[in-house]
Amino acid sequence: MSDDSGWLNSYINSLPERGWFQFLSKYVVVPFWVWREGRPKLPGGPRPSPQPSDNTQRMMNLLMPLKDTSPIGRAKAVMALAQNVDEIFAGLDNVGTVHSARFLLVEDYICMISVYDGDFSNYIRDFISTIGSVFDALMHEVEGGDKLYPSEENVEAFIDWVREHDLFQAPDYPFDLFGLQDEQAGRKPNDPPHDLQTLPRSLILQLHANRNISLGGGYRGYPGYSAAQIRRNLGVGW
Amino acid sequence: MAVFDAEKVQGNILRGYPLDRVRHMILEVSDRRRAREFLAAAADGTGEEVPRITRSANWSERPEFCFNIGITFEGLRTLGLPSDQLKTFPTEYTEGMTRRALKLGDFGESAPEHWPAPFDRPDRIHIVASAYANADHHLDDIEKKVAKVFTVLGTRDGRNLPDGKVFFGYRDGISQPRLRHVFDPEHAGDHQIKDPLGTVLLGYQTQLEGIKFTIPTPEDVFRDSAFNAFRVLQQDTEAFETYLTDAAHFLESHRDVARLLPEGAEQNIGGGMSRHDALREVVAAQMCGRWRNGTPYEASPNSDVQDGISLTNYDYSLSSRCPAGSHMRRANPRGGPIVQRVANYTRRMVRRGMSYGPDPETGEHGLLGNFIGANYGAQFEAVMCDWINFGLQDPGITGTNDPLLGANVPETSRFDLTLKGGGHIRLSGFPRFVKTRGGAYTLLPSLPAIRYLSQLTA
Repeated sequence: MSDDSGWLNSYINSLPERGWFQFLSKYVVVPFWVWREGRPKLPGGPRPSPQPSDNTQRMMNLLMPLKDTSPIGRAKAVMALAQNVDEIFAGLDNVGTVHSARFLLVEDYICMISVYDGDFSNYIRDFISTIGSVFDALMHEVEGGDKLYPSEENVEAFIDWVREHDLFQAPDYPFDLFGLQDEQAGRKPNDPPHDLQTLPRSLILQLHANRNISLGGGYRGYPGYSAAQIRRNLGVGW
Repeated sequence: MAVFDAEKVQGNILRGYPLDRVRHMILEVSDRRRAREFLAAAADGTGEEVPRITRSANWSERPEFCFNIGITFEGLRTLGLPSDQLKTFPTEYTEGMTRRALKLGDFGESAPEHWPAPFDRPDRIHIVASAYANADHHLDDIEKKVAKVFTVLGTRDGRNLPDGKVFFGYRDGISQPRLRHVFDPEHAGDHQIKDPLGTVLLGYQTQLEGIKFTIPTPEDVFRDSAFNAFRVLQQDTEAFETYLTDAAHFLESHRDVARLLPEGAEQNIGGGMSRHDALREVVAAQMCGRWRNGTPYEASPNSDVQDGISLTNYDYSLSSRCPAGSHMRRANPRGGPIVQRVANYTRRMVRRGMSYGPDPETGEHGLLGNFIGANYGAQFEAVMCDWINFGLQDPGITGTNDPLLGANVPETSRFDLTLKGGGHIRLSGFPRFVKTRGGAYTLLPSLPAIRYLSQLTA
């Protein structure tokens, strides 16, 4: 935006606040952009990293859409989990790599928010092998969950589904978004380099593909330690 | 449960061949019609000019050569498998080895960008065909036949080194999963838990409680297939031996060295050697988990004499002398304590390898490895990303990589040698000893699957 004080410049600078412009953007410009150069959906969960410290305390933000969003459907999902609380806690304990996990019912989703160490698919696979039956009960209440039943015999599809529904974790440094978008589209990252001014547009297009996202990888109060290391150092056994 | 039929399974999956040479041919399908004809003839041995696929069934006479094939996802697509069926293959296989590089530790010098031809063009690699024999002329003969139909992008020759050793000087291939329903006299004395067939073959119960891996569509065709991670692994033996010497110098003057190796014990190592040389061997043994002659370090921490010591029957505990960070223990923690309590014995896979090189010009040498299992994610990748590298299975090693195979850099590498009575001496500053120089994820299709692919019409 220009610093000049001419009337045209001040009018252009005020565009984002004007109703007609907002209307145009929302219903014409963005849909046109998406049609012309839409971004592919970016995969969920933390990205693989060679840095050991990036592989501990990884965040899972799993949003599972409810089949029936009425109070009755919501209650069914809650009951599916409530009936299995002991199994869930025992299962998480036996997987051994989980710092914390909790379930939330938010709007039309049942969410599993978890912090874990290492590779996410190993975590899920071990979890299914330990307490798959609990997931089965829940999956009946979740959209698209029926074809994953029983999870023990659809492990691969189940893991892909979880990755699909785990929130994309936007990079901690905003301009790293360009490289991820390039890679996802099968191009060499940042070659040629992107104009920083196009970042808002890229973000808008990405939020069209990934409606809900995690803003960065999250904050860690004690980077670089696994759940087992913490348990060992606290003397509570690992 | 389906009845197991060894006639449907390729022969390199369930057992190794008693043949000392291999030629892996990296192939592109340039004419899919002729490629299909080749597969049909190979499946049933109906063509003079096509080698017959070796099966898993027991043979009465030792064959002069064996022949097997693995097909990449690009290969299936090129052979004309319809997209609705391609979609039923697991994600890891669909993406291929190069796109899984970070999980496998293939970064830095090992990154696929640095792989030499033909592995620099993974999209062109459709089939990895492997010929095994004792005499080179059999391998040449098979390659000639294969080259008439396929574009040979490159070949890699391997051979067994004397005494079952690899270039690092260790005896290798001692422990393999033993599978239920499979006659395997070679590993009969191994008391580890037997593995269900689902460990390597699609369509059977696995070691993970209740879990069956998905068979791609059509299921009756792809049942009895397996997945293979073919790896070209360069071994830097010079750097390794140099590091052992440096480590021995460091240890000789360490105040705790007597708890690492008691004075006089050097008489029982390698038939008797100097204190310095014995310390080199102790470091090598702790890094691997076995002395170089194969004696398990766990069973014999002060001597490599094999007298009466089982090569396969031992287990790890919280007070083990075999370091949790050793290569063997990372790859197969047996019944020992691990963080992922449900995962003991669940990530085993079949390993078959032969050495390659040294290249007359570059001196490059290493291992051509096949790592075979029913599911990449649950076995090969799980072991590579959580156990070999990163060391998530034990809080004492988390954040470190396998000293032999891991993606180490001297600035951060570390390895704790265990001492008698507890405690450790930390080694550091070692480089990466094994570099990845190529590879591919291939399906080892069942015989029915090979016939099915040969009859595709698209």
